[in-house]
Amino acid sequence: MLKIKNLKASINGKEILDGINLEANAGECILVTGHNGSGKSTLLHTIMGRPDIDVDGNIEHNGVDVTDLECYERSRNGFFIAHQSPPTLDGVNTLSLFSEFAKFDAPDARKIEIIRKSKSVFNEMSLPEDWSQRDFNHGASGGERKKNELAQAMLKTPSLLLLDEPDSGLEQSSRSKVTDLIKEVCDNGGIVLLVTHDQQLQDSYLTKKIELSNGQTL
Amino acid sequence: MAKPYNKVYTNETGISLNLHPQDVDNHEEYNITIIQEEGHCPVSINIHPEKDSLSKVNVRIFAENNASVDCILSCYVAKDASGVDTDMQIRSWPFDKSRIQARPEMFVLNNDIKAAHGNALGTLSQEDRYYLHSKGITNYKDILKESLYEG
Repeated sequence: MLKIKNLKASINGKEILDGINLEANAGECILVTGHNGSGKSTLLHTIMGRPDIDVDGNIEHNGVDVTDLECYERSRNGFFIAHQSPPTLDGVNTLSLFSEFAKFDAPDARKIEIIRKSKSVFNEMSLPEDWSQRDFNHGASGGERKKNELAQAMLKTPSLLLLDEPDSGLEQSSRSKVTDLIKEVCDNGGIVLLVTHDQQLQDSYLTKKIELSNGQTL
Repeated sequence: MAKPYNKVYTNETGISLNLHPQDVDNHEEYNITIIQEEGHCPVSINIHPEKDSLSKVNVRIFAENNASVDCILSCYVAKDASGVDTDMQIRSWPFDKSRIQARPEMFVLNNDIKAAHGNALGTLSQEDRYYLHSKGITNYKDILKESLYEG
């Protein structure tokens, strides 16, 4: 269960979120809507623990107060965010990074097994054949970067999945992968928070909706 | 297209290379990685492109601890080497107390050529660091080193 109580967030002294309350049960997918600048992305990054966001209030996940946990600790406890604009990391091989992602969920898994699984999700996401050998996101289009984020989530099956416009820039044929992923996480008892403007995705697998305006829930 | 030349040098005390793209080497692309964990390594890489040849040279330098690397990457285009198309790029990642000094140089004696060079420092921005931490990753240096080892 995810419980957010009176969450306030500010960046460089500017208040973005002002007293958000939210509860989500296992298996729920919550749509976060609102105009541009209403605080949707900031809400997801605050839950993820972005270090430059000053936070007040509480975030509790499965009975544990995670408000003071570092971002990487939240990730290792099942939080996953699919970023809207993932960076390029020169020199860092995609497969090496994927192997590292997967380690936290399956510390005993053999490297060869992780490599096989990673290649399988690249293939499922229709990423280019040489994807695993490339530097991370090197020469990637916006759509390919989104697919790369989804591929990581598919590899991990997180307990809290934060999707920040996962469908923007994705071709129609890949959009079903987003709904498949949401379904898989929810079926496994996870929770999904979804920010999207896509009506089709909004209608597909949602149990609750919250609307933000000026950093507050309507 | 000819197969790329990929080579990783680790903890060398000196590297000296003379590259002849599309001629005696029969390569168009060179990927040279230098990983220095300790000691000093002077590096001299000289490219001698032939007439109408295509070449791309990528040099990646990783240094950690107290290691140091001084790299000069030079391209010599002869007077009769028209039609040359060459690109040389250096990327450096200095960690801990290490030091990397890298310099690309071009000596061009023909006007009918294309030549490009770049020299960049591979540091992580605050956003990059957050991205990695949001995926649970705190050992960027180790992953980078492993990736570079694997070429």
